Amino acid sequence: MKRRRLRRKSIVVIWLCLVLGFIAATYLAPHDPLSIDPTNRLQPVTLEHMFGTDHLGRDVLSRILHGAKTTVGTSILVILIVLSIGVPIGIIAGGIGGVVDRVFMRITDAFMAFPDFIVAIVLSGLLGPGMVNLMMAIILVKWTSYARLVRSTVIEEKGKNYILIAELNGVPPLVILFKHLFPHVIGNVLVLGTLDIGKVILMIASLSYIGLGAQPPAPEWGAMLNEGRAYFQLAPHLMVVPGLAIVLVVLATNLLGDRLRDYYDVKTGGS
Amino acid sequence: MLEIENLSITSKKETLVKNLTMSIDSGEWFALVGESGSGKSLTASAIGGLLPSNLSIKSGSIRVCNQDTVNMKIRQRFLGNTITYIFQDYSGAFTPFLKIGAQLDEVLKAHTSWSRSERRVAVEEALRKVKLPETVYEKYPLQLSGGQLQRAAIASAMMLKPSLLIADEPTTALDALTAQHVLTLIHELASEAGCAVLFITHDLRHVKKHATRVGVLKEGTLVETGTKKEVFTNPKHPYTNMLLRSIPDLKSETTRLITSEYDAL
Repeated sequence: MKRRRLRRKSIVVIWLCLVLGFIAATYLAPHDPLSIDPTNRLQPVTLEHMFGTDHLGRDVLSRILHGAKTTVGTSILVILIVLSIGVPIGIIAGGIGGVVDRVFMRITDAFMAFPDFIVAIVLSGLLGPGMVNLMMAIILVKWTSYARLVRSTVIEEKGKNYILIAELNGVPPLVILFKHLFPHVIGNVLVLGTLDIGKVILMIASLSYIGLGAQPPAPEWGAMLNEGRAYFQLAPHLMVVPGLAIVLVVLATNLLGDRLRDYYDVKTGGS
Repeated sequence: MLEIENLSITSKKETLVKNLTMSIDSGEWFALVGESGSGKSLTASAIGGLLPSNLSIKSGSIRVCNQDTVNMKIRQRFLGNTITYIFQDYSGAFTPFLKIGAQLDEVLKAHTSWSRSERRVAVEEALRKVKLPETVYEKYPLQLSGGQLQRAAIASAMMLKPSLLIADEPTTALDALTAQHVLTLIHELASEAGCAVLFITHDLRHVKKHATRVGVLKEGTLVETGTKKEVFTNPKHPYTNMLLRSIPDLKSETTRLITSEYDAL
């Protein structure tokens, strides 16, 4: 019991830190991320510019902090939208079954047949580069795995005796859905969602790197990597800093996801 | 109380229960015995309309309290306080994320218009009746033992004083001593509520102790019915005879099932 409470606490703390971090990032930035200063271009690490400056003389630290909002904030938003599409579809498909289930699952299969990265590239290519189109592309390919996960969880749990007994005892269907089925679903979904935040961050960064996501001069980690590429030999910090930022945040979300998985796993994390 | 007439249950290929006719009066404890696959559990499922979707009732009628249940659409309201079930798998009887008390409370909520505190009193009373400590109210299913869970399931089933309790091998997963306690408990509660019991088992020792009437099912056909005394002392069908001889007995030495005799049947 004690261990369980401790874990719950640490997860809350991590999330609070993350959210506070993003709110604070904008205010902590020492410079305007967009202000150009050609006289100070490609500065190394100094006290005034802690991560140096880029090829237009912009402060890299400020751009990283503002970029967090774009990269990480967008990923979390994308995952939230994906959840709100995938989870209801999974519940409907699994809960109702029959023809509805088959129709939904064939649609999911169709979406799953496309490799996600390619779809994102094609869509951004068709609709034009930009963050909104990029988000749409990622949402389009991501919701399927959630619909599938939720559907299979619902179907698995629906067959269990306690659902049958609750039905027999006259518990209303909506109560069964929310109180008896939903807890099983939510654990799995949270774990997958947290792990996916890391993947979406990587996707946004990579697509921005090839110019399909955030457009200059907006600060975005992947785009920053791309801008720094040309000056890698002169000023390696232009690529190292955004690269490290991506690695650390993705690692953090993965660890958080693992921890959530332990927490929601009844067999290892339970009382 | 319960009248089944000419019930046949079929899958796509074969008939699993053939022309079964039986009846149970209120307050009676009817034991349905037979080997695995003889159609005992199917009959029990059919009464509540719980047959798996690949099986169907081909003909016959099932009447509970003079209501035909075969074509009944909304079973929910009628189940729970008329018919109630206790299953073999006690560990699956409760949702793992919800406390026992909350789950019993839910049942009352669905059937009564009592206030929260009235329901709490009723649930605690039900738990006391199955000899569980009050602390069980605040416990999760994982924290209870098998016997305790099965007793909680009985509490849940008997809380609404049903007219018919269907106990589908309730003790198969329990050890002998716990099984005895659980059955005695069902017996007490059922006779207190005046409720009929359809007891499905293949353990004839339990039948000997608790049943008032016995039905023997073999390959989907009810080969013999009668009071416990009739069936146990004067079996008419050779299969019943064979079943009776397979009851483990401390006194006699030849209690093993003779396979050649079995094949001959």
